Amino acid sequence: MNVADTQVTRIERSTIDRARKWARANLVNGTANTVLTLVSVTLAAYLIYTLTRFVFVGADWEVVDVNRRLIFLGRYPKEEQWRIWPPMWMVMGLGGLSYGMLSRGSLRDLAWLGAAVVFILAFLATTTNGLLFGGGVLVSIAAYGLGRLSIGRPLLRSKLRLVTIVGWFLVIPFAIILITGFGGVKPALWGGLLLNVLLAAIGIGVGLPLGILLALSRASSLPLLKGFATSIIEITRGGPLIAWLFIARFVLPAFIPDAFETDPIVNSMIVVSLFTGAYVAEIVRGGLQAVDRGQVEAADALGLGTFNVTVFIVLPQAIRAVIPALVSQMIALWKDTTLFAFLGFTDALSGGQAAYNQAAFKGSQIEVLVFVALLFWAVAFGMSRLSQRFERVLGIGVR
Amino acid sequence: MTDNAIQNSSSDTGHTGGASDAPTGSSGNLIISCKDVTVSFGDFQALKGISADVYEGEVVVIFGPSGSGKSTFIRTINRLEEHDGGTIIVDGIELNDDIGNLDQIRSEVGMVFQQFNLFPHLSVLRNITLAPQKVRKMGREESETLAMELLERVGIPEQADKFPSQLSGGQQQRVAIARALAMQPKIMLFDEPTSALDPEMIKEVLDVMGELARSGMTMMIVTHEMGFAREVADRFLFFDEGEVVEEGTPEHFFTNPQEDRTKLFLSQIL
Repeated sequence: MNVADTQVTRIERSTIDRARKWARANLVNGTANTVLTLVSVTLAAYLIYTLTRFVFVGADWEVVDVNRRLIFLGRYPKEEQWRIWPPMWMVMGLGGLSYGMLSRGSLRDLAWLGAAVVFILAFLATTTNGLLFGGGVLVSIAAYGLGRLSIGRPLLRSKLRLVTIVGWFLVIPFAIILITGFGGVKPALWGGLLLNVLLAAIGIGVGLPLGILLALSRASSLPLLKGFATSIIEITRGGPLIAWLFIARFVLPAFIPDAFETDPIVNSMIVVSLFTGAYVAEIVRGGLQAVDRGQVEAADALGLGTFNVTVFIVLPQAIRAVIPALVSQMIALWKDTTLFAFLGFTDALSGGQAAYNQAAFKGSQIEVLVFVALLFWAVAFGMSRLSQRFERVLGIGVR
Repeated sequence: MTDNAIQNSSSDTGHTGGASDAPTGSSGNLIISCKDVTVSFGDFQALKGISADVYEGEVVVIFGPSGSGKSTFIRTINRLEEHDGGTIIVDGIELNDDIGNLDQIRSEVGMVFQQFNLFPHLSVLRNITLAPQKVRKMGREESETLAMELLERVGIPEQADKFPSQLSGGQQQRVAIARALAMQPKIMLFDEPTSALDPEMIKEVLDVMGELARSGMTMMIVTHEMGFAREVADRFLFFDEGEVVEEGTPEHFFTNPQEDRTKLFLSQIL
């Protein structure tokens, strides 16, 4: 009893000591630093106080509560809502599996995930939706467990890796087929946060491989291919996304024969993918240039041939070197999906605007905008965290 | 190619010393034949007409001052550098712009680099199995068995699952040798394989190379390790300013070098 007591005290004392040492080294070493610390602490305290006060006391969240559907789904018909759940479960399952295979769950990540789950559950008013989402969370946790289990079991791991990679490739087509197919919902009726998510997913899903192909073409020694890729990249990057969206919406249809006329939103998706592809191409080109010449020589000397050298030696190293820049591009695209509001589509942001323009909710802009901002921030932050984790895992093999 | 050609192989360089030294490992067939090979980088002519032949099972060491073209020459043998004059015939196939020939030759000729050039994103095992699987269409199990045998041979089977960055320089170079051997090449080229190593790691790499030489592998080695070279080489080529200045057995070079440039260089490095 006595021994245990002293041990506890010792640990406590050392923790306090360490905290004190840390504070002395990082917060109050020198006059300038002390002043900076005081100013930052005051500022942070003030911000946290006002924000908390607003969220729990000042704000009237009824506007968000009533218009939940508008912000999340726009004009998407209610009776077709079931189509969204299976792809969502798939994403949650794959997410859990990938996370489990990549790394041990850290307490901090767990806290964030828990907060996100509580947050979303709070806004899924009906019991059915809550149960459906809760089921997804359980799937996700089970998949995470399976992923952890695979560590130290190479056979299971290689199988799971295949499942994960194929799954991530299939999830976007699966979502689109399930939502549009079998008498489903036309893209013109997609809306709210769902529209932002689908646009970003398609932009990334098509833009990323397209960008890699463009980068390889631009780096190729065939003059025609190189010229073609270079002009696509330079022309696309020469205009702002919003201009290209307007061109896709209002100018292109004038030149396209009626027989090929597509849904305006499909045109816009093609434009977004091309736009993303052009930026991805330049990022990847930077990565290609960063790959050591000796790598290609060594692979050539083994007789691997151009295709194998590119796919197995050059690209993996090039892309690994530019993951931070690529993720940054993806986050930019995620936020750029709000530009579709200018084409008359109701995304999360314009759905929110429609909500606070309702007569019953005059003057509730702050509540709505804070809520929408939180939605966008949560996804962007999630992407950023996931990429950091991914980088750390990939880091094993880097010189 | 006749024996005559070999006797005359370096006659254009004007030396007399090496022509009478018949290659000691010449029991095999002619496997590399170079005639009047030239390579230029812009205005600079790196190789000014190199003629040299190598027989199956022979170990040829190339040495000379830096910038003499010895690395350039060894790199032309698997066309990492393109020659702009003369002919190179490797295992009966002439090196030219025909890509099909090129990949075939590269899979028959293993190469080990000064900077190892292991693939940093692949495990040691995967570094070795990749080419046999993709080029030789070998199955996964078969290629992994082969890779483990080779790692055993170079003395580091326990490192199979590590990544190159986790290995010492000497270990990395031994993996690079195993990687090249996995293609079961007829010829191995070594481009200053120990120059980037810390002194205490040079021996472990040279030991592996010595064992390989004794096993009958045809080897061309660019190196400054003259003690090692004397032990394993059948023949030396001394390069200077893009030419073969002198050619002969190790004994010839150590006891009776003929050319002034050879004598000067040997006096500097020995």
